[in-house]
Amino acid sequence: MKKFTEEMVIDYADKLLIGLTDDEVKMVLDEFEIIDKNIDIINTISDIEKVEPMTHCLDDFKYSLREDIAEESIDIDDLLSNCKETANREVKVPKVVE
Amino acid sequence: MKYMNKSIEELHELLVNKEVTSKELIEESIELSKKVQGECNAFVTILEDAKEQEVTDNLLSGIPYGIKDNYSTKGILSTGSSNTLKDYVPFFTATAIKNLEKANAVAVNKTVLDEFGMGGTGTTGHTGTVLNPWDKTRMCAGSSSGSACAVASGVYPYATGSDTGDSIRKPAAYCGIVGYKPTYGMISRYGLFAFASSLDHCGVLTRSVKDAAIVTDNMKGIDKNDMTTWDSSNINLYKSLTGNVKGKKLCYIKEICNLENYPNRSEELNNHLVNFFNVIEKVKELGIEVEEVSIDKTLLNAIPSTYVVISCAEATSNMSNLTGIVFGPREDANNYIDMIKNYRTKGFSSLIKRRFVIGSYVLQSQNKDRYFHNAQRVRRLLVDEWNKLFESYDGVILPVGSGPALKLDNSSNNLDKETQLLEEHLQVGNYGGFPSITIPDGFVSNLPVGINITGKCYDDENVLNIAYAIESTMEYKNQIAKEVNNG
Repeated sequence: MKKFTEEMVIDYADKLLIGLTDDEVKMVLDEFEIIDKNIDIINTISDIEKVEPMTHCLDDFKYSLREDIAEESIDIDDLLSNCKETANREVKVPKVVE
Repeated sequence: MKYMNKSIEELHELLVNKEVTSKELIEESIELSKKVQGECNAFVTILEDAKEQEVTDNLLSGIPYGIKDNYSTKGILSTGSSNTLKDYVPFFTATAIKNLEKANAVAVNKTVLDEFGMGGTGTTGHTGTVLNPWDKTRMCAGSSSGSACAVASGVYPYATGSDTGDSIRKPAAYCGIVGYKPTYGMISRYGLFAFASSLDHCGVLTRSVKDAAIVTDNMKGIDKNDMTTWDSSNINLYKSLTGNVKGKKLCYIKEICNLENYPNRSEELNNHLVNFFNVIEKVKELGIEVEEVSIDKTLLNAIPSTYVVISCAEATSNMSNLTGIVFGPREDANNYIDMIKNYRTKGFSSLIKRRFVIGSYVLQSQNKDRYFHNAQRVRRLLVDEWNKLFESYDGVILPVGSGPALKLDNSSNNLDKETQLLEEHLQVGNYGGFPSITIPDGFVSNLPVGINITGKCYDDENVLNIAYAIESTMEYKNQIAKEVNNG
């Protein structure tokens, strides 16, 4: 397992479109070191790999799907009320094609 | 304070008998909000134009309350206490709040939280630190810091909260009030800003178990907009409070509670645990059997890291929509990548940024099994252990935290603090979706401390009734914070 390095922290932050200060990079690494040690301990639990990962609180939950019938939706003007720039009931976004 | 220190039932009776009007209650609550804002910084928004509501048969009608600022409220600023949403005004209202509106309850303010609920100190909201009304040098804990502060200060009888790790139940303990999160899915999360969806719960902060029951009865219900909700129409928490608990069984976990686990304990921790065992004696006098049980310490010690891994991973994914392009303050830059990067870098606090990076790392395909899946496996092992206890016991009773509210100058959101089992064990309640309630159980250093009862899923009536009975053996029901000077 490759150790979580300063370069990796900066790279991941960059992919998340987040800039980190030097102090923040150090804090990530310090925090991660504790997690890593605990994960090492978790790996000592016998047969841990055979346990089914728990993804939700309620294993007994039964999801039911509604009929595929269109329902009343939110008014477009309401949806646009938080947008900084709009044009003709659409969100005006910055150019994404270089 | 004329009315706002009273219980919901008392206020309802005064309203019905026309000894006070809804308008007068709202005016008092808003005045108190301004005072508490000046002293403790508990609110993002005070709704000065809150309108009186007709008093009906519903116990909540006409009575003021507060909303944690991560609940969407149509036409009202809802920031999640984050700079990234400092100007966000939702176009819809969260289902839980809509349900309170239907009860004619009156929202008078939006309360401060740790940014997006990701913190336990009340220090990371974009409007600043929330101070503990008992001692302003101490924290309220978090993330429902403003709600806890306001209810404890007597601004109103209740406020909504949300709880992903212990965000209702820890602040309640630090502020000397009641904090309750019901079984996962009893209250709809539609309109609650998602932090870690598999752990997020809505709930309430009040000054008594009865008030918590009344409010939750009104917030809950199946919701077509949240497919994790379930039909709880056969559950009536308020009516289930009989106080009859003879023959019930509780257990406590020795690895968490016993004094010898903490050889270097502070005086406050010592007194907190001694008080816990004194309360256990009172619990036994009610006719409740209480036994000591043991759980593998390695598993227990994995609780905090399991939480960080799962919650960071889910948060990274949930909050990827925060770009500043569609909503939020759009940053200026030459291209959209820099726009988003500027927005996220400036907008998120240090804590959030760190957690996103950790969340992203544990989700990488090469790391996923070691971190994310193993955390989910430990989650199952812990939930299985608790469920095994619930086969023999009505609930697990444990002390909350390691004593009274921590000093603000020691505030830390780092894991080195969080490895303390005593501080973090309530997270298991989120892993399993268990109903879990904190009530005040005494004073240490003249400051309130709390005790928690957690039961099996869907058994909320039983859990609340036990808490109600235990509350009746003590003198901390309906208490209002009195500032203490510890020198």
